[in-house]
Amino acid sequence: MLYRTASQFKTSYHADHALFPVRQDAWLLGIILIFAYAIIPMTASEFTFNALLIPVLIYALAALGLNILTGYAGQLSLGTGAFMGVGAYACFKIITAFPDLNIVVAIALSGFFSAAVGVAFGLPSLRIKGFYLAITTLAAQFFLVWLFEKWGWLYNYSSSGAIQVPNIEMFGIIVAGPNASSVTQYYFVLAVVTAVTWLAINITRGRIGRIWKSVRDMDIAAELVGINLMKAKLSAFAISSYIVGVAGALFVFLWRGAAEPNLFDIPLSFRVLFIAIIGGLGSILGNYLGAILIVALPVVLGTLPGMLGIPIQSATVEHLNVMIVGATIILFLIVEPHGLARFWQIIREKLIMWPFPH
Amino acid sequence: MKRLMKTALLATTIAAGAAFAGAAYAQDSVLLPNLSYRTGPFAATGTPLMNGQRDYMTMLNERDGGANGVILNYQECETGYNTEKGVECYEKTKAEGAIVTQPWSTGITLQVLPKSNVDSMPILAPGYGFSAMQDGKVFKWAFNPPASYWDGASMILQNISDGNLDNLKGKKIALLHLDHPFGKEPIPLLETLAKKHGFTLLPIPVGLKEMQNQSAQWLQIRRERPDFVVMWGWGAMNAGAITEAVKTKYPMNQFVGIWWSGLDADLKLVGDAGKGYRTLSWSYPNNESKVMKDIKQLVVDAGKSMLNTSTGEFDWVFYQRGVLISAMLAEGVKEAQKHFNTKVVDREQLRWGLENLDFSEAKIKELGLDGMIPPFKTTCGNHTGHSGAWMLEWDGTKFVKASDVLQADRAEIDALVAEKAKEYADANQPWPMNDECKL
Repeated sequence: MLYRTASQFKTSYHADHALFPVRQDAWLLGIILIFAYAIIPMTASEFTFNALLIPVLIYALAALGLNILTGYAGQLSLGTGAFMGVGAYACFKIITAFPDLNIVVAIALSGFFSAAVGVAFGLPSLRIKGFYLAITTLAAQFFLVWLFEKWGWLYNYSSSGAIQVPNIEMFGIIVAGPNASSVTQYYFVLAVVTAVTWLAINITRGRIGRIWKSVRDMDIAAELVGINLMKAKLSAFAISSYIVGVAGALFVFLWRGAAEPNLFDIPLSFRVLFIAIIGGLGSILGNYLGAILIVALPVVLGTLPGMLGIPIQSATVEHLNVMIVGATIILFLIVEPHGLARFWQIIREKLIMWPFPH
Repeated sequence: MKRLMKTALLATTIAAGAAFAGAAYAQDSVLLPNLSYRTGPFAATGTPLMNGQRDYMTMLNERDGGANGVILNYQECETGYNTEKGVECYEKTKAEGAIVTQPWSTGITLQVLPKSNVDSMPILAPGYGFSAMQDGKVFKWAFNPPASYWDGASMILQNISDGNLDNLKGKKIALLHLDHPFGKEPIPLLETLAKKHGFTLLPIPVGLKEMQNQSAQWLQIRRERPDFVVMWGWGAMNAGAITEAVKTKYPMNQFVGIWWSGLDADLKLVGDAGKGYRTLSWSYPNNESKVMKDIKQLVVDAGKSMLNTSTGEFDWVFYQRGVLISAMLAEGVKEAQKHFNTKVVDREQLRWGLENLDFSEAKIKELGLDGMIPPFKTTCGNHTGHSGAWMLEWDGTKFVKASDVLQADRAEIDALVAEKAKEYADANQPWPMNDECKL
């Protein structure tokens, strides 16, 4: 009933291939956007912004970057954390070298640095694939984190070896640094994430996306029909690392405010990979669902005992939290191995047919 | 299923009811949260400290009904030493009305430090954090009593040079440190002193992943044969270094650690083989002091502690150091109550309290902390207080005092503090200075 597609006629190929062939999808997205842009910012507290909304958006963006590489182009990567680090350190160097530069420009530029590093470490993908490729990206992970620690120039030789975000103004409003308000940061992140998502949707639906998918599904066949594998794989590495780099810059500049090298170590890569896999490889929506499950759920669970007034030690909550989240992940993967995005797809199909299933 | 739902609903209602009732009868209280880590890679060193902090607050609430009738609501928020959890805990406790934050990790301190100005939130980081936080005019909201890492480095050098740093001329000192902001903290001062007094400094970093396996680092130490190894270690790194030193037969009397490298359990692992290992400490356990007796009676024996009694944790340096940390915070609250003539202090008032801590000999006695901490005093310009510290030595079963109270070389440190504090403020413009402070 809610999702009835009756009377939505498509009279041209163009209409058939539209972004939203079913009108309700567009409405749903519209409602989500209204919530994200208007209703949530009016009601959320500072804790909600800093512990739930902003991290979910940034993690979803990082997972989106990884998903392009792993889910669409089929190249397994374990170096996401390090590529985020490249974006963050590049942004730090750009901002400290040119303090008057607009932060949007700085973040956009820092993406290019991580794209270049991504392509460099993606070169082996031309000869190896699967687990072997995962090992080379793992090498990137170890090498880059080592570099962040040892190369003093990257952190301007500060004695602590960490980078700190100064106060950054944009059009008279402080958007990053300690004096920035959470609402501003939320809107900034939301705007960037919306723009990148819109781009990613259109890239993955179009010619380039189809090339990636053909490489993912069978690279020999793709080569036989005339697809240039080198171009396809390296473009996937470049675009994916660009998005991951932007996510890394946001991660430090719009959320954490400070970062030390080991922040970008392998646990971060795994976390992003979990989000992509649980959300669903080869989907855009999945990244958001995965981020909500992996990033937001533990925070919500952690606040529950306090809200219900259950006297329980904070350390115990943390142990329980790890257990519950772990069990949820396994449960979801058993119920739907293709991730949460596929789960939503099934629900949607059922809704379209409801109340008269065949 | 239906029954399950009903039970769940009932449970929720009861819980909510209980919470409501609790709130209704609540006494005046102040929320003093602690960003603890009883989980994760540093849990072994964290847990005794957190137990000490918790038990002192519980003791005050049991014995005196808190501070002048105001319950000291000590609450933990578990971070697992994870900086991401740190942000979450900071925001959460802030929203709940915390009047202080105790970040317990240099990484979390880094994130919280610039925000403290905006949120008006005092940071209490006893014996850790930035050494430059000493400068209260720049770091208006941050406190690191009773001694900073630079104080520690200076005191260690004095002790191993028998009081005159020129004795170190031509010697080689290895700094075995965690490759992390915390471990790198003493390097600027040590480099300055090395240049001035003509000794060689050899920093040997231990990565977070290599904490338990330091064979490469100790191979380097064997090759370089330093005259002293100074350790800036934490968590699993300490136990790793001490066992490795025993294995490679490095002379223990040339091996000295900072105050976070003196966990009794780490030395118990090697027992007699660890004899002669020294650690600097601004705290010393004294079971005969009034406070420790009260804690034993009112908290531990009453079953209100999370202490692990089977390991003898009560006697440890770290447990009793936790007690001292809470004592500083509680005194901060009391000072603020007295000065502002109020019961429930707010953040701004607590900041004043922490700025006017006076742990004089008489005060230490009055509090019942005899012999546990050297006297110190904070002011608006000096947020550290500089208690000095003792050198403790492992005698095979426990740590014993091996020196009188050492004092750091103020002239060297204060110059560096001024320089680094200015550097920090410049990098974080606009940075508010505490201009009211005339000291």
